[in-house]
Amino acid sequence: MLLSVENITVHYSRLPALRGVSVSVDEGEIVCIVGPNGAGKSTTLLSISGVLNPTEGLITFDGMKINGMSAEAVARAGISQVPEGRHVFTTLNVEENLRIGTSIRKDRGDIEKDFKRVLEIFPVLAERRRQAAGKLSGGEQQMLVIGRALLTSPRLMTIDEPSLGLAPNLVDRVYETLLELRNDRGLTLLIVEQSSERALKAADRIYVLRSGEIQLEGKAADLRDGEKVRQAYFGFVDGAAHEGEVAF
Amino acid sequence: MDYIIQTAISAISFGSFYALGALGIGLLFSVLRLINFAHGDFITIGGFALIIPSSAVVATVSIGGFHPILLIVCIVAIVIALAVMSYFFVFQHAQTSSPATMMIVSFALGYTLQNVIIMIYGGRPKAVNIFPELTGPVQLSDGVSVQLLQLVIIAVTWILLIALVIFLKRTRVGIQMRAAAEDFRMARMLGVNGKYVIALAFILSGGLAGIMSLLFVTQTGVLTFRMGVPIMLFFFIATVIGGMGSLVGAVVGGYSVGIVSVVLSAVLPDELRGFRDACVFILVIVILLARPQGIVLTKAAKERV
Repeated sequence: MLLSVENITVHYSRLPALRGVSVSVDEGEIVCIVGPNGAGKSTTLLSISGVLNPTEGLITFDGMKINGMSAEAVARAGISQVPEGRHVFTTLNVEENLRIGTSIRKDRGDIEKDFKRVLEIFPVLAERRRQAAGKLSGGEQQMLVIGRALLTSPRLMTIDEPSLGLAPNLVDRVYETLLELRNDRGLTLLIVEQSSERALKAADRIYVLRSGEIQLEGKAADLRDGEKVRQAYFGFVDGAAHEGEVAF
Repeated sequence: MDYIIQTAISAISFGSFYALGALGIGLLFSVLRLINFAHGDFITIGGFALIIPSSAVVATVSIGGFHPILLIVCIVAIVIALAVMSYFFVFQHAQTSSPATMMIVSFALGYTLQNVIIMIYGGRPKAVNIFPELTGPVQLSDGVSVQLLQLVIIAVTWILLIALVIFLKRTRVGIQMRAAAEDFRMARMLGVNGKYVIALAFILSGGLAGIMSLLFVTQTGVLTFRMGVPIMLFFFIATVIGGMGSLVGAVVGGYSVGIVSVVLSAVLPDELRGFRDACVFILVIVILLARPQGIVLTKAAKERV
């Protein structure tokens, strides 16, 4: 097991945001955490990346305890997070943004090779190399932050809502790219999604998180019809959900 | 005409000095959201480091008597060391507090440094004469003569500005610093070493303060334990009207304040000249009423985690 989150509890001031959440990710897997707004999805990712410190529980990465480590130490250990809202450095140009991704690396030769490869995966970034990142469109910024995270040469990449604020065809493009990265480069992915439909399509396994607790976990293949996921997601069964009209 | 040229050079020289000061404050603010009110006292310490620590009325130079290059290196190194120590012993522990708390901590540090100076050197002003050859006039043309030091201040400022721009644009750590200034948390999540970047900002800011000590003491020839306080006020105002967090803004703000001060001294009638600073501050209020975000717009101070 590459990443294991065991029974973590996280408080925002005194309110618990997560209660006894456990998530595990195997090498080469794509795992999705789905859930409604405020369920604690981002909190889970921020705890993994060392930005938040769980009050209880254990997080291990490749057998090493990582909760309590600083965000930069977690990045060095091999987890790269693409946080919600993209967070490009708007005043830096595209190339500089990508270069920040290489901050932790010493292997100069490989950096240049990886740099070229990222520009091949995302040709639009090569075209806009010298442009300020703040001037890119939302989709281009999403490509940029994924490329930037790739340049840290991570073993695990966590992505918070890659589809947020993107047009549907761009979302497809982002997910295609992520699948390619897994298939071609063996990248392990932990993705937070609000749309369970999207998650069921892309993931090997999914977790449904609501009100700070895991409601359901399972292989995406077993949950494809969506009924169980819907129940776990909303916490009740209602008519509208049965008709399949709710696009969540 | 000659008078105008002389005033203009004097204004640019003043502005350059303020720009350097504002830049020292702006550098720390950009990565740490710290408004370091001890910055002026760092400049004071750089001045006092020139003389032998004693409370005697007549100051005896120590470092101040060294060969000029060694003198500059020593003073800059001392002020950098002071700035870095202030980070590790003081500001680092307040780093997660609000910007207001950090600012109050910087006030406390400033007063502590002033009192340390009083304890060691006494409270009386001391005369110190370094680089006397710089304080003489130079003849630029028939009617125009300016103090050589004014030209030196302008030249030094521009050399430092260009060096800083090259550092921030071209080097790996410089780019990391700009990234951290914009989004500290994201930079750390990508593995940028936050402590290292902040320490570097203190080094740069301390280096600027050290050079400013030398320029300031050369100009005034006097050391007093509070000499950093009034200039710090102007640096602070320069950073505010330039736009907090923007280095370009700090430079623009520094030049604005410096040039306005000198122009006011030149045009105000004699009986109002004593109120020059008051007039500058009134202008500052007017600017901030019209443009509260400062001249150069940046992302407002953000939450830090």
